[in-house]
Amino acid sequence: MFEPAIIVHGGFGKFPSESNLKKPLMEGTKAAAREGHAILARGGSAIDAVEAAVTSMEDNPLFNCGYGCTLNLNGNAQMDAIVIDGQTLNSGAVCGALGCPNPVQVARLVMEKTNHCLLSGDGVQQFMRSHGIEVVPDSQLILPERFQEWEQYVKLREEFVNGCGDSQRIASGLPPGCDTVGAVAMDASGNIAAATSTGGRTGKLPGRVGDAPIVGAGSYADSNVGGVSTTGFGESAMKVCLARRIAELLEKGVPAQESAARVLRFMHEKVGGEAGVIVLAKDGNRCHVTRHFISPNMTWAAINDGRITWGIDQGQEESASLE
Amino acid sequence: MLCDNAFEGRVWGGAVIKIITMFRPTIIVHGGARQFTPDTRDLVQEGVKAAARQGYAELTKGGSAMDAVVAAVSAMEDNTVFNAGHGSRLNLKGQVEADAIVIDGRNLGSGAVCGLQGCSNPVQLARLVMEKTNHCLLTADGAREFMESQGIAAVPSSELVTERARIELEQHVKFSSAVENLVAPRSAPPPSSSCDTVGAVAMDANGNLAAATSTGGITAKLPGRVGDSPIIGSGAYADNTVGAVSTTGCGESIMKVCLARRVGELLEKGKTAQEAAEHALEFMSGRVGGAAGVIVLSQYGNAGACEVGHHFITENMAWAAIDEGQLRWGVDPGQEMNEII
Repeated sequence: MFEPAIIVHGGFGKFPSESNLKKPLMEGTKAAAREGHAILARGGSAIDAVEAAVTSMEDNPLFNCGYGCTLNLNGNAQMDAIVIDGQTLNSGAVCGALGCPNPVQVARLVMEKTNHCLLSGDGVQQFMRSHGIEVVPDSQLILPERFQEWEQYVKLREEFVNGCGDSQRIASGLPPGCDTVGAVAMDASGNIAAATSTGGRTGKLPGRVGDAPIVGAGSYADSNVGGVSTTGFGESAMKVCLARRIAELLEKGVPAQESAARVLRFMHEKVGGEAGVIVLAKDGNRCHVTRHFISPNMTWAAINDGRITWGIDQGQEESASLE
Repeated sequence: MLCDNAFEGRVWGGAVIKIITMFRPTIIVHGGARQFTPDTRDLVQEGVKAAARQGYAELTKGGSAMDAVVAAVSAMEDNTVFNAGHGSRLNLKGQVEADAIVIDGRNLGSGAVCGLQGCSNPVQLARLVMEKTNHCLLTADGAREFMESQGIAAVPSSELVTERARIELEQHVKFSSAVENLVAPRSAPPPSSSCDTVGAVAMDANGNLAAATSTGGITAKLPGRVGDSPIIGSGAYADNTVGAVSTTGCGESIMKVCLARRVGELLEKGKTAQEAAEHALEFMSGRVGGAAGVIVLSQYGNAGACEVGHHFITENMAWAAIDEGQLRWGVDPGQEMNEII
């Protein structure tokens, strides 16, 4: 018997100190962890748990995934998501998906119903339809706030392109702390799974795929070792195979926290960019869960050993007994 | 960075010149890992040799490793015998959907496309993604929009679809439904089924490494299926401080274990290029099944030179390598032919 555990993250970034988004995002992240844990507590699988946790955040318009995700340059809600089964290393993922309210669920179907690992673009919609999943109109996925952010971004970008704006203003036009979400869990059988989901960056080129749906970049899971889910500068994570590198250190016996810190530092030095990660490292019949991020904020919550812990600011760790 | 490769020679007038060479330009290409049928075997061998020559020509005229791998892979995309660009395998709907990647070992910069229709040279578009955008990977319609924004017109499907690819799709569909009708467990696809992505890795005279991989994917894949090829760490890997890798074979197996990055990791641990290739494939086969082949350059060679390795656990892999004025190539396990350039 293994001691189940789950850790989730709701995105990394930089909130202004008086931001009124921090509290609801924190609550949403904790709720997602509880959803996943409830499944583990009744003997459910790690895959079910991470799928439930991420679905909870996809359904919550505050998070940058599913309903309420950030919009691409054309103003569409275009998503990437993945699930990985650490027992078999099977995975399912979707990228560049339009009209999809729960891409993590579609990703799981890709894993279970096809011989493939990743479907893209219109192929995702064709697959959804063939499995009786409704492809919804964009309007059902777009939050008014996201639309406004997109409009603002397009305006800033045009100014920049026309030579009268600056890239700093474009960067600051992006919503704070609104980024990829993910979950990693271990169930009572010792199986480990990871899931990640995102709408990407505001104003990304249509069809831009980041690290989230890429095995070894945004996500990784191996029941012999542990699991990882990342959030942050997707291109940087892809270039260094961020999630796989953390797993490499775990395989060498480096503790989870040190693994995360070393690889994030390596990434920042080698290719620039910042990220946050959640890591679950197997240890006998238990596991260690940790998070690390090089930005002012990342919402995260973990449940293990009968306690829930959470935080959003650097160095913050609150804890309570789970009832 | 100078190395020990230097020679003296006498020129007209008796003056002695001493030339310090820099790094030894090297390229290795692959044209797919699968069981080659007798009718394609010779064509594939000639094709990889020609592609290696094209890439090497870039290196000898002072071109970069990136120029070399793009030239080599473009040559294979233009050659209909290979499963890339013209002559790509078809998805279940009879369409060509391309995946391709380039990686620059200098700064880990990368560009890739996936699920892209209507593109003759996906590897060249991948390079443009790297050079003209802040992104690493564009898919489907987005990739197509970008292509058109760069002034590259989409080509009609008919130009990319070959008779051979069409027949293969027909046979595959017939075979699959025959198996279903027999109420038999799903068996392996017929031997002509594709797992034959193309790729190239190179080192230039400045010691920079690059990798490129390109594919049409597998016959009868679901529309939008993306394999390992355009994925950093799976279909390709390049890092000046480590080495460069391109893979071919069962894409899903390769993705599950991040095969190209695993080879890189083994190089970092001190394995030779050949050892890294063998161990990584052994791991993949043991852990997730499936078969594949890899080509590897290791930056841990002797001063100025990189180690070259290749290995495959499929029936065949077409490969060709050029360095030190020698062209080496093979198709069968353990086979290595050579000729002086």
